[in-house]
Amino acid sequence: MSREHRHRPTALLGEAVLLDDIGPPRRGRAYPTAGVASLLLLPAAVLLVSLVLWPVLRTVLASVTDENGWVGTAHFHAALNAEGAWAVVGRTLLWAVVVPSIVTLLGYVLAAATRRAPGGRWVTLVLVAPIALPLVVTGVAFHLLYDPEPRRGTLTALVAAVFRLVGADPDAVPSWLGPRLITVALMSAFVWAWVGLAVLVFRAALDLVPTGLADAVRAHGGTRRDVFLDGTWRPLLRRTVAIVFALVALATARTFDLILMMAPGSAVDDASVLAVRVWQTGGTTRGQSAALGVVWLAAVALGMLGAAWFSRQAWPPPEPATRSPAPSAERPRPGRLRRIVPPLAAVLWLIPLVVLIATSLHTRLDAAASGWWSRAPSLDSYREELASSELSRSLGLTAALAAAVTAVVLVVALLAAYALAWLAPPGAQVSGVLILASAVVPTQVVAGPIKEILDAVGLAGSVVGLGLVHVALGVPFAILLLRNALADVPPRRVREARLAVRREWSVLWRLAPATVPAVVAVCVLEFVQVWNDFVVGLLFGGPDATPLGLLLYGQARQFVTAGGPLAAGSVIASALPLVLVVVFRRQVVAGLVSGSIR
Amino acid sequence: MATAATALGACGPGNRGVQVMVVWSGRELELFRRVLRGYGQPVEVISAGDNIDALLQARRAAGTTPDVAVLSRPGLVADYSRAGWLEPLDDALASAFTPRWAQLLYADGALHGVWVKAAHKSLIWRVPGTLPSPPQDWPGFVTLVRDLAAATGPRPLAIGAADGWVLTDWLENRLAVLLSADEYDQLARGERPWTDGRVRQAFTDLAELWATPDVFPGGGRRALLTQNEESVLQVTATRQAAMVFEGDFVASVVERYRPRAAAAEPFRFPGRPTGTAEEPVRLPLVVGGDAAVVFRGSVAGRQLVNWLVTAEAFRPWVAAGGYLSPNRFVDTHRYPTPLAAELASQLTSEEEVRFDLSDRLPGALTGADGQGSWQILQDFFADVTVNRWAREAAVSRAVERMERAAAAIREAGR
Repeated sequence: MSREHRHRPTALLGEAVLLDDIGPPRRGRAYPTAGVASLLLLPAAVLLVSLVLWPVLRTVLASVTDENGWVGTAHFHAALNAEGAWAVVGRTLLWAVVVPSIVTLLGYVLAAATRRAPGGRWVTLVLVAPIALPLVVTGVAFHLLYDPEPRRGTLTALVAAVFRLVGADPDAVPSWLGPRLITVALMSAFVWAWVGLAVLVFRAALDLVPTGLADAVRAHGGTRRDVFLDGTWRPLLRRTVAIVFALVALATARTFDLILMMAPGSAVDDASVLAVRVWQTGGTTRGQSAALGVVWLAAVALGMLGAAWFSRQAWPPPEPATRSPAPSAERPRPGRLRRIVPPLAAVLWLIPLVVLIATSLHTRLDAAASGWWSRAPSLDSYREELASSELSRSLGLTAALAAAVTAVVLVVALLAAYALAWLAPPGAQVSGVLILASAVVPTQVVAGPIKEILDAVGLAGSVVGLGLVHVALGVPFAILLLRNALADVPPRRVREARLAVRREWSVLWRLAPATVPAVVAVCVLEFVQVWNDFVVGLLFGGPDATPLGLLLYGQARQFVTAGGPLAAGSVIASALPLVLVVVFRRQVVAGLVSGSIR
Repeated sequence: MATAATALGACGPGNRGVQVMVVWSGRELELFRRVLRGYGQPVEVISAGDNIDALLQARRAAGTTPDVAVLSRPGLVADYSRAGWLEPLDDALASAFTPRWAQLLYADGALHGVWVKAAHKSLIWRVPGTLPSPPQDWPGFVTLVRDLAAATGPRPLAIGAADGWVLTDWLENRLAVLLSADEYDQLARGERPWTDGRVRQAFTDLAELWATPDVFPGGGRRALLTQNEESVLQVTATRQAAMVFEGDFVASVVERYRPRAAAAEPFRFPGRPTGTAEEPVRLPLVVGGDAAVVFRGSVAGRQLVNWLVTAEAFRPWVAAGGYLSPNRFVDTHRYPTPLAAELASQLTSEEEVRFDLSDRLPGALTGADGQGSWQILQDFFADVTVNRWAREAAVSRAVERMERAAAAIREAGR
């Protein structure tokens, strides 16, 4: 899933499914048909082996060899002793600890607060909207928000005004994008983008906790603390917390997009994490870069093991079917905190969107030279963006790419998922482990070797090559989601289907209706993921293949003077994923959440 | 898909057009296409952007090398010719350029490319009528900056220090007059230590200027978050600063915001007083440029490059503006503005040009955001403006870091 943690919250939830599923087939009944099963698995296997697993091996090999052969740990010594290397490793770990803690805590608090609050649904919508935005757009919005120029930057102007009011020096406003605070600024943008997902997962988890449990603890004279521990924490919450934490920690590799979009050239070094360093040092086909890649992989593997250990279920979770009736009727009126927190969160979460849209509604010069509040709005920036042939070409390319990748991923993943769910192919457990492995590999680590393979087949820098990489990165998560959906089909229906028709295709076709929600989830998530992509485009794109993320990045090279059109382009680029996620939110959430809490 | 098409085309040599890979995109690409319409034969243009090196390597591995490539770094021309990828060209073509320009494209005694576009990087811009008479020598310039800094009104200088290349361009303009051409080349090739006295002098001069109190709008901290184009607007639009240094391409930035923002005109970057009567001040002329090279075995590519050097080839781009040619055959009357004509004639007539140093430095020293010479100069800038280091200490740290990086590259190359 290397791309999940770069990209989308959602896909990461696949991890959770896997942590559970790599054991012996827990859903029992299977039809061992080695030949057909292997055939069905073949497309997925070819993709994953050539574009994920082989590149990982190539990286590991490159980290201990050079052109003359074995060099032992020389590359590791050189890479870690390079200027600032330990700071980069430390900052990467800081991201993987601090950000998930904040997201998990905020996610839980907001989930609990909005669950029964008046207008909670609207608040949730505001919190969830950032999930649908491309991370580069988040970067644009926060760059605009934190702009250090007091006459233009919203937050800088605001704080300067407050300073003036209380008699402090208005020139002493901290520069959020400067070397000292840049990491804090980036983290705030990341939290903004990810809390919505945590809220969704916690909401679903809290809905599953049987209220009877808490009542029982209370009836036995339990304190509030006991009620929380025994009624919520031990049965379900501990596991959900572990999963959310692990997902977000893995996802922090995606800060790459934010750093490239938000950090000014002079602060890049102070914001750098392993993802950036590996990319800067030329990819993991070279010794030192490969050594950093291996360090990164090792950290990811350790983290996943830890998460797997914590997310063991202390208590078999209740079936969703036995979900307790809406508890709101029996609950007391929401407390004061519950009335204040949700609207406050909604307002805070709206600010970056307001800044982005307001900036897009100004001409290029007005957006560059003054604040959006001080000039009359205009549609000039939209006109400028829409008039450029580059944007229309890129929109067309991105749409076609996303649609094609989604279709291929769906077919490849359905075949493999069916085989894994019901046909007990030889080495099913190994396949499970391999899929989990390919799901957590960071893209930057495998980019160099993948490029070598694409070069070898003449697809480097082409749209087809770009699409293939997207497919390989999207398939593991899709397999997980569809496999679970197929495995949940009652055995009786599978038996009937198998008796009715001879060919495995026909069986799969007959089972298809049961998987519609999962298929919709895979389609929407995959499409949005490719549409919102930046890293894959940056690493594997070329002159004939400039997807939206790459186009926006190119426009942001001179950020301030491109502010208006860049904001307009960002709004245009965000519209479709936002609509898709909102329209299909029910299927998407069901698909994701079922994976994450069961 | 393009790759597949190319592979097909390669099966039948002779019946496909010439293929040119260029670093340009956007408007530049469009204008280059317009140029090629005058060639009379079909030419396929591929835009590779900054990744041209990676793409050419990939194309080579796949056996689909284009006929011609336009590269923005002479270092690449040298690398490719050393690897035996390039077709040597007629020496006669070199006559289109002054010796210093031509020399950069010679490798192993043979010409391996021709210049097709140039940049003039020794200009300081101001709004017309705002400064009486710009000084020609560095001490005079420092005095002017100090006077403006002490006065009320706009700050003397805008600087896009968030873009590391702006700072390396500043340094190059000082090095260009403090070092001889040979010494400058030695520094570029890594054969002269960065701790050399006159290199230190260049850093010290910059430190002295940049450390002037109130010299930049918002101070050094703010300058480090300002990019080049924003620094131009600080002069023409918001009038926070009086002058901004950068190349001829500033003109197109200024033009984009006209007429609501003011116009700007340049004067030459100040030089070194020589003490002689006929040339009282030697002005630096730092340049950049894009060169066309022909890949080995391509006859069609040779023909195209022979045509690109002719006086008429780039006429549409010259007339459209935003373009300077280092080619002596190009008639300067064809430029759309007197300023462009003047800058072009400086490029083609002055003998003492220095090619952009950071584009010639090897490997990691070249610089990118947060890396190499860009990062070292940004840290140097922060040391003298924000951290208020003693000048000597800041200079020592910067030149020693440059030297360490250069030594590491020498070591790796051995």
